[in-house]
Amino acid sequence: MMSGRRDVREIIREEPIHRREIQTALTDGGKTVPELAALLGYSSEELVYWVMGMRKYGFLTELPDVTEDGYYRYQVGPRGAI
Amino acid sequence: MEYDTLVIGSGISGMESAIKLGDMGYRVLLVEKEASIGGKMILLSKVFPTLDCASCISTPKMAAAIHHPNVTALTYAEVEKIRKLDGRFQVEVVKHPRFVDEAACTGCQQCETACTVSVPDQFNSDLVARHAAYIPFPQAVPKKAVLERAGTSPCTETCPAGVKAHGYVSLARSGEYEKAFQLVLQSTPLVGTLGRACFAPCESECSRGSLEGPVSIRRIKRYIADDHYDAHRRLQALPEITHTERVAIVGSGPAGLTAAWQLARKGYPVTIFEAEDQAGGALWTIPAYRLPSAVIGQDLDNLRQIGVSIRTNTPVHRIEDLFDQGFSAIVLAVGTTSPVQLLVAGAHASHVDNALHFLKAVKTGVGTRLEGMTVAVVGGGNVAIDSARSALRLGARVVRLISLESREAMPAFSWEVEEAEQEGVFVLNGWGVESIGESELHLMGCDATLDREGRFDPQYDRTRVQSVPADRVIVAAGMRPATEAWQSTLTLAGGGRIAVESESQATSWPGVFAAGDAVSGPTSIAEAAGAGKKAAEAVEAWLSASAFSPGPMRLPRVSQEEVLARQSQYALRPPRGGNKALVLHPHDFTEVEPALTESEVRDNSGRCLDCGVCSECQECVAACPADAIHLDAREERFETTVDSVIIATGFKLFAADRKPLYGFGRFKNVITGMQMDRLLAPTRPYHTVLRPGDGKVPESIAYIMCTGSRDQTVGNPLCSKICCMYSNKQNQLIMGALPLADVTVYDIDMRTTGKGYEEFYVQTRAMGTTFIKGRIAEIVEKDNGNLVVRYEDIDHGGQILEQEHDLVVLAVGVQPNHDVERFFEPGVLEFDDYAYVNEADEILSPGQTNVPGVYVAGTAAGAKDIPESILHAGSAVAQASAYIEGRRLPV
Repeated sequence: MMSGRRDVREIIREEPIHRREIQTALTDGGKTVPELAALLGYSSEELVYWVMGMRKYGFLTELPDVTEDGYYRYQVGPRGAI
Repeated sequence: MEYDTLVIGSGISGMESAIKLGDMGYRVLLVEKEASIGGKMILLSKVFPTLDCASCISTPKMAAAIHHPNVTALTYAEVEKIRKLDGRFQVEVVKHPRFVDEAACTGCQQCETACTVSVPDQFNSDLVARHAAYIPFPQAVPKKAVLERAGTSPCTETCPAGVKAHGYVSLARSGEYEKAFQLVLQSTPLVGTLGRACFAPCESECSRGSLEGPVSIRRIKRYIADDHYDAHRRLQALPEITHTERVAIVGSGPAGLTAAWQLARKGYPVTIFEAEDQAGGALWTIPAYRLPSAVIGQDLDNLRQIGVSIRTNTPVHRIEDLFDQGFSAIVLAVGTTSPVQLLVAGAHASHVDNALHFLKAVKTGVGTRLEGMTVAVVGGGNVAIDSARSALRLGARVVRLISLESREAMPAFSWEVEEAEQEGVFVLNGWGVESIGESELHLMGCDATLDREGRFDPQYDRTRVQSVPADRVIVAAGMRPATEAWQSTLTLAGGGRIAVESESQATSWPGVFAAGDAVSGPTSIAEAAGAGKKAAEAVEAWLSASAFSPGPMRLPRVSQEEVLARQSQYALRPPRGGNKALVLHPHDFTEVEPALTESEVRDNSGRCLDCGVCSECQECVAACPADAIHLDAREERFETTVDSVIIATGFKLFAADRKPLYGFGRFKNVITGMQMDRLLAPTRPYHTVLRPGDGKVPESIAYIMCTGSRDQTVGNPLCSKICCMYSNKQNQLIMGALPLADVTVYDIDMRTTGKGYEEFYVQTRAMGTTFIKGRIAEIVEKDNGNLVVRYEDIDHGGQILEQEHDLVVLAVGVQPNHDVERFFEPGVLEFDDYAYVNEADEILSPGQTNVPGVYVAGTAAGAKDIPESILHAGSAVAQASAYIEGRRLPV
């Protein structure tokens, strides 16, 4: 039934259930996708879908500077904490 | 309304055709299947070779098309069929419902923000989510919201109480437990009760059930009820009394309570009359191990909080008395409180009890202990099971359940029977009671319980007998309504049931309605609640002297096949949450089913497949400041006649996963050219160009040309014409967005056949893009998501080399759009060898098809860039005009 990557529809459908934990993980400062992945135990790829979905609807926003590794950090967005 | 020309598709060719024809004075019907006009061009970043902003040059065209006085633009609509009739064309069009009033919608996006369902955003090439309520993209024309609704989700469609199960699951998924509670309240006040004691037909129909098991929908409802009640929240926005007509509800079981609830919420003063000393009716016969008494009390308190008056110990013997007291309408919801007696010797002995009396006594704490006794329960339904399991908890040493029916035919749910057996109940199937002795039951065989017409008619085999010991006998042989007092004033059906008009629930007495088990015979809590809701609607219609309509019609149920086909694969996630704590011979009435934790609720609700896409959670309705959401909208079909047709249905992009060698769909950092265009566009899915695998800013980007073009292995030998130039365009834009990035293009050759195109390519090279003439042999994904491209370097002796990149972009080509094939009867419209619309004389009469009066514009006839598409549309317009004028000339 399942091989390799999960279906995009399935990943995106689950974004709402991860909003709170992603925002909670950002309470002590902005984090990159790989940092969130390491902290929460999800794959970076799936976190990109969730982070970008949350960003689109105001739950997250990016910090302006890119890290030395080439990543942006994200913080709780204008919609505020859930 | 008749039109001169039908234009199908509103990409750049369709818009150009419509505007030009409109300018010439022709009346044009422009039909677009998406919710906005604009086609693919509006989604591009910039256009080559001028690097004009695609949005900036598209939006004036879009505005001109939608506002043109001679153009009627239908979005979210499709042409179903076209037939030629007397030289003209008869066209069938279906307009899909947006579920949004286009005139009222201001495009504020508050519905989209509030929506609880996330799906891939097709306007961002699936790189990010959009919501089920959405505006296609920021420059959409018209900028109106649309709700994606595939139908009614099976869980919602099947709920007898009318609870929007999908809605509360999607709210729970977002952590909106109180909103989920309020959504259930829209149907019934019995949120806690249904969260525990409903038989959950929603779960039986759950599409997830065909994977690894249904979503635990009922237990999610239990959680949201507990969350509300544990926080001691009071209901807000108590309804004001807006009607003077008082309504009496007789009976306070699930039907009566729900009828009262619905009417009180609509502003009617409601009084419930309950014969017993506490409200709740049949709920008080459900054992506490399934439904704790406190939960019933919490649900009942919902009614009190909104002002429903409940008068207990007040039986209603004469209906006319209620009218005399000033009630304008009455709902009889008295349930089935009279037990069916066994007509056998010994049935009235002191050690024989009926199940309803027994269960209620146990529940209210006045039941006797049964320590060490041998108990026989007569019956095969759920009440019998409840009685048997309660007897065990009261200390019975042995409990036998005597069922007339075979195991398969038992009315009780199979899982209830299994749980009873796990707790120690012995089930004897196919036995009837011949007589009841002082300490034993005499049984006789029963071969069948129903006759050929399905009526209850047990066939006994008196040669097959046995006796079983029984210190106590509990009879659960059926129930009927206690309606004897009303038989002279109301028309009754068989078994004392109240006869009603099936749709309106009206009895033979004007103003008197009936609902629930008193009408239907014993059912379930959810079914009774649903009947109460329906009766309330009927009462409201009667009091307002309006025609009764049984609630809003739902969209058809979405099929499980349709739901499961949306994904290529599913990750199996067995439902989390503790199992029922079943022990042999339990000694107390502690709930057997544990509550889900919040984590388990999130996990379970995350398994929901969003069958209907829109969950009907009503958040958009609440959020819309213009009251523009209309969930009762339905598709509209109409026919019109036109003189000519222009097909401008555009093209499809090559599905990159058809070239497995390149890893699209398998490797997370392999994307298509259209996805890169979205990443570069001002309305992009991310905040800059990032690779989708981990959000990294890519430093090394590879382009693989001719993906799906000039490739016999995928059945497309044609050059797509646009890939070389859009890749060059993207290369230049990437260097602007990511100045430090290296871009490498792996191509066969560069085709730059347009004015200024070769110069554009030279400029791209000069800006630093590396072009390698080489065929790709293999792409390998590394652990860090980087991609190693193995290629044959043709310019350097054909040696096999490897290069590592952060991101690979596949320059996917153009494919025919097969949608056009269904417009005409097969064989009418001709297609070329590559499945594009055939141009009868491509050189001298571009745009002319084999059907006089039907023309093709743009890429529906083959690959073209934007200027070529506009030119081609001009040709189609000129020919359509000539055709129309030719028909109008006198013969």
